[in-house]
Amino acid sequence: MAKPNSAQSALDLLVLTVVERRGPVHGYGIATAIEDLSQEALRVEEGSLYPALHRMEELGWIAAEWKVSETNRRARFYRVTSAGKKQLSSESERWLSFSTGVSRVLRHA
Amino acid sequence: MSWLSRLKNAMNSRRLDEDLGEEMHDHRERRAAALRAKGLNAEEARRQAELRFGNVTQLREESRGIRLWAGLEGTLQDVRYAWRGMHKGPAFAATAVLSLALAIGANTAIYSIVDAAILRPLPVAAPNELFRLSWPGVSDSGDPMAQERVSFSYPMYLKFADASKEAARLTLFSYPQRVEAQGATTEKITRQFVSEDAFEVLGVSPAAGRLLMPHGSPVVVLSYDYWRKRFQADPGVVGRNLRIEGKAYEIVGVARAGFFGVEPGRFIDAWLPASVYDAKALAESGWNWFQIVGRLRPGASREQVAARLQPIFHRFQVERVNRVSTMPPSIRNQFLRSAIRVPAAATGVTDFQRIFARPLWIVFGVAAGILLIACANVASLLLARATARAPEMAMRVSLGAARMRLVRQMLTESLLLSLLAGGLGWLLARAGGPLLVSLLSRSDDPVEFALAIDTRVLLFCVGVSMLSAVLFGLMPAWQASGAQPMTSLRNSAGQAGKIRLGKVFVTIQVACAFCLLMAGAAFLFSLGKLFRVDPGFNARNVAVLSITTEAGKETEEAQRALMFQLQRSIARQSGVEAAALAAWPIFVGAGWDQQVTIPGKGPSERQEIFYRVSPGYFAALRTQLLAGRDFDIRDSRPAALTPAIVNAAFARRYFDSLDVLGREFSHLNGKSPARTVIVGVASDARYYDLRHSADPIVYLPTEGSDGFTLYVRSPLPLGALVRIVDRDAHTVGSGMRVREVTTLETIVGNTLLREKLLAAVGGAFAFFGLLLAGIGLFGLLSYSVGRRTKEIGIRAALGAQRTDIISLVLKDVGGLMSGGLLIGLAGALALMSLLQSLLFGIRVVDPLVIGTAMGLFLATGLLAAGLPAHRAATVDPMLALREE
Repeated sequence: MAKPNSAQSALDLLVLTVVERRGPVHGYGIATAIEDLSQEALRVEEGSLYPALHRMEELGWIAAEWKVSETNRRARFYRVTSAGKKQLSSESERWLSFSTGVSRVLRHA
Repeated sequence: MSWLSRLKNAMNSRRLDEDLGEEMHDHRERRAAALRAKGLNAEEARRQAELRFGNVTQLREESRGIRLWAGLEGTLQDVRYAWRGMHKGPAFAATAVLSLALAIGANTAIYSIVDAAILRPLPVAAPNELFRLSWPGVSDSGDPMAQERVSFSYPMYLKFADASKEAARLTLFSYPQRVEAQGATTEKITRQFVSEDAFEVLGVSPAAGRLLMPHGSPVVVLSYDYWRKRFQADPGVVGRNLRIEGKAYEIVGVARAGFFGVEPGRFIDAWLPASVYDAKALAESGWNWFQIVGRLRPGASREQVAARLQPIFHRFQVERVNRVSTMPPSIRNQFLRSAIRVPAAATGVTDFQRIFARPLWIVFGVAAGILLIACANVASLLLARATARAPEMAMRVSLGAARMRLVRQMLTESLLLSLLAGGLGWLLARAGGPLLVSLLSRSDDPVEFALAIDTRVLLFCVGVSMLSAVLFGLMPAWQASGAQPMTSLRNSAGQAGKIRLGKVFVTIQVACAFCLLMAGAAFLFSLGKLFRVDPGFNARNVAVLSITTEAGKETEEAQRALMFQLQRSIARQSGVEAAALAAWPIFVGAGWDQQVTIPGKGPSERQEIFYRVSPGYFAALRTQLLAGRDFDIRDSRPAALTPAIVNAAFARRYFDSLDVLGREFSHLNGKSPARTVIVGVASDARYYDLRHSADPIVYLPTEGSDGFTLYVRSPLPLGALVRIVDRDAHTVGSGMRVREVTTLETIVGNTLLREKLLAAVGGAFAFFGLLLAGIGLFGLLSYSVGRRTKEIGIRAALGAQRTDIISLVLKDVGGLMSGGLLIGLAGALALMSLLQSLLFGIRVVDPLVIGTAMGLFLATGLLAAGLPAHRAATVDPMLALREE
């Protein structure tokens, strides 16, 4: 995983969460889900999703396969592996405590 | 992602590109569709989608890099890391790679010879259907060394072939001979006579022309190699003539590439039909000059063939015993009881296998021992290194390195080592194989093998290196990755286990190395003893020349006169001390054995050696005449009573005394007994080899012949001598010329080929094993002294003297070596009893051999202990105690 708490790791965490909740899902679906859920607050360059997906695929956190989508087009669908689930739970826990800490400082400083 | 799919990605990167492109394209299409749904026009929607996606090319490159290299990078990192590690410890790396390379190289080289000489089926169709014929053999006076006989006569072959024709097809092969082929230049080739349909029976196809030789016509079939060497593979050679031994033969065909004959080790250049062989050899059933090979017909068994041949074989044996009326009954019965054998011949028919099979397997066993030592050595080296790196490993484990990753890294190191060693070993094998073959070969009797790069040898080589990689790689890797961070960082517990394991490795090395050392010492002492055997003649500065005159041109008497004329003219040359004639050279296996009849007694049980020599023979070879006189030229004239000189062994055996001048005996010369009278007694001299004690010999006066041997004692260089003899032979005339030239020392040395091979390989490997065991001991001792620095420091602080500390280390060595030596000694004694028949003058429990081996080993042990002991003795107590 990239440096903890970097933008990169945040993106990884988001992607992993979306794939876990909604998977199997293709890249476009992940992008729109992040867009919708964050109420467009997080608007990343959509293309940067793909290197992140492929890196996590290499790490064995997610798996992918080509399938025909609802609109009858070929798309690459991603789903979370058991290693990915473990990673997700420890990572989201760490992120939560980090962000609680940050927001606490922001609020009480 | 699996290795397989990654490999697929790497192999087919266009496919990967298309995949990535399609995925990203799909994304933009969907985005554009969504934007269109929101009311944008197609053009604007596409632009927006592109904008939001970002730089496609760069992203694609990024993803491509990830999917191609993520895993490979880890591996490359491992390899780089391993390579750096080897650079940091060059002594360790060099020792490990070189010792493994030598072991792998030796095993591969020797296996390739064993394979070519013994294991590999003949290069013919369906070699499993082939068989040969043999019979147990008959020995004089129940000699236990009786050898299987494989020679048959032409009439026997014809009868056998006829009797077995429903079950098999038989072919015959003469013994290969080196003969002269005349073309633009005269050269030596290896010739063999075969039955006309030999190639058809063997299933060998032609590379040019045809291989069937018409009965009785002077034709020749060439081997592929000879065809290429001599005629540059010119297909137009078919129909041309080749002169062999002065006779013209028409070339009818060339055998296909890869077929060398039926004897591994012997490459035939030219095959001639047996029907043009010596007429006598074809007609007489006493001329056993052929080997018989057959091919079973479908459904037939070798037992059926034996059953069909036995009655005929028995008739021939009856005929054989009846030909020699004086045959003792014990021998007679052996002949009559003997049964024909039909052993399988898939791997060929060869004397080479009989003589060298056992030594080759032994050499192979020695190489396997070296491999074991090298593996144990590398294992203990790696173990010591793993111990040294334990803190590093612990650090990495505590920093979160995956255990698998560590195992993988250690395995990468081992694999890198063994692959380097395997590659180097392969190169060594390629150079070493031919070198070993040259040890078995003689200039006048070349041994050749198809030591081509053979997949089996290659697989064997790779298998050996992989096996060793796993053998020594897994254990330390396991130990290192099993390192418990806390205990290792504290650097205390867990080391005893490693020392124990290290001791096991050292014990293996010591035991194996001691076995090798004993075997090597035994072979070397054995060869040394053979060299010191007094042969009864002085071989130094004696040239041996084979000389021929044109066959059948002169009478026996005229031939004899020409021979004596040559001898006289050579003996007169300046620089020549003596010259003598003989029927053939000694020590080449040529002989004429006869039964001896002492007046008043029956014919002897044994057959004795008869050897025709000229006047001056004993002076030329410096064999002493103990009594009586030398031969005289007049002794060669036909007479009722032929003068003979006998050696002391003969005199003792038949007359119980050396005072035998004037005594008479007779022997068979042709069919009639020839009477001889003893005119001289010579001291004993070896005739066939150095191994067996001097046999009785009867020397008879020279007989005229178109082929004879000239011994010349002279300090002149061989080349100069040959020119002198050549010139004189030419002057004598009648087509007299020098055929072959060698020295008596070479001839005697040739009888020791097997012993020399074993001594060279055994000695080299013994030295190498000793060196490796020394390195192993040194490594373990250095390590254990390093570990005990603190203890030694305390002892020194408490007043221990240097000698006490040194003896502490020496006790360590003693403990380490004694177990290995005991096992090694037991193994070595078992080995010695196996090797007994190959040794000369060495007993199984031989104090000289055991003493030498023990002495060398103890010296090596002391040497290996020297540096660690010195280090221990100079430990500064204060420094040692302050450590940690």
